[in-house]
Amino acid sequence: MSEKRKYKKRYCKYCEAKVDFMDYKDVANLRFSLSERYKIMPRRLTGNCKRHQDMISTVIKRARAAAFVPYVVTRKKVVPNPFENLK
Amino acid sequence: MRHYENLVIVKPAMTAEEIQAVIKNVEETITSNGGEIAATDAMGMRKLAYPIEKNERGYYHVIYYSVAPAAIAEIERRFRINEDLLRFVTIKYDTNREVAAWNGLVEKAKKAAATPAKEETPAEEAPKAEETTEAAAE
Repeated sequence: MSEKRKYKKRYCKYCEAKVDFMDYKDVANLRFSLSERYKIMPRRLTGNCKRHQDMISTVIKRARAAAFVPYVVTRKKVVPNPFENLK
Repeated sequence: MRHYENLVIVKPAMTAEEIQAVIKNVEETITSNGGEIAATDAMGMRKLAYPIEKNERGYYHVIYYSVAPAAIAEIERRFRINEDLLRFVTIKYDTNREVAAWNGLVEKAKKAAATPAKEETPAEEAPKAEETTEAAAE
């Protein structure tokens, strides 16, 4: 019993896809690492490796500066599908 | 020479010709400072994720170029003076991996610019039409 895993084994989706570079302009690819309030998801929830988490966090910050992704979402602005209204 | 990418957001409250003039001016700023433009990508009118200077929409334009690192400060200073720009984002592509990615992006932008060259005018009109219908729906 004690040897049984409590959680699913985590793996980095970006490593699996062999992502070398992320572009801040394609917002659809950032979706995986963003919460519904556009916060950057922590590594412990997504399972990203350190290298790709660093990459995605800089890319998301660039996308925020370029107004592709909002910095904050207030209670009024929360929508079920956040990427619907973009583009 | 180092590889850079600049994204500029032009104010939406202008006619198409005025926007093109602003973009031409922006490109001139880069070339006059010794930059070589590799490719440009007009993303067109888009909804902004958050209002900038009370504007809900903006015209996105991306320029890929290579220039001496010292010239970036001057280019950014000029962009700050330009009142027709809502926002600009400068990205540096420095490491080998990033340079490879830059080349890929340039190729992609060139291909995108080459294939729909004839369709460009209707393609530009189509999103505008959509936007007007959206505005009507709202």
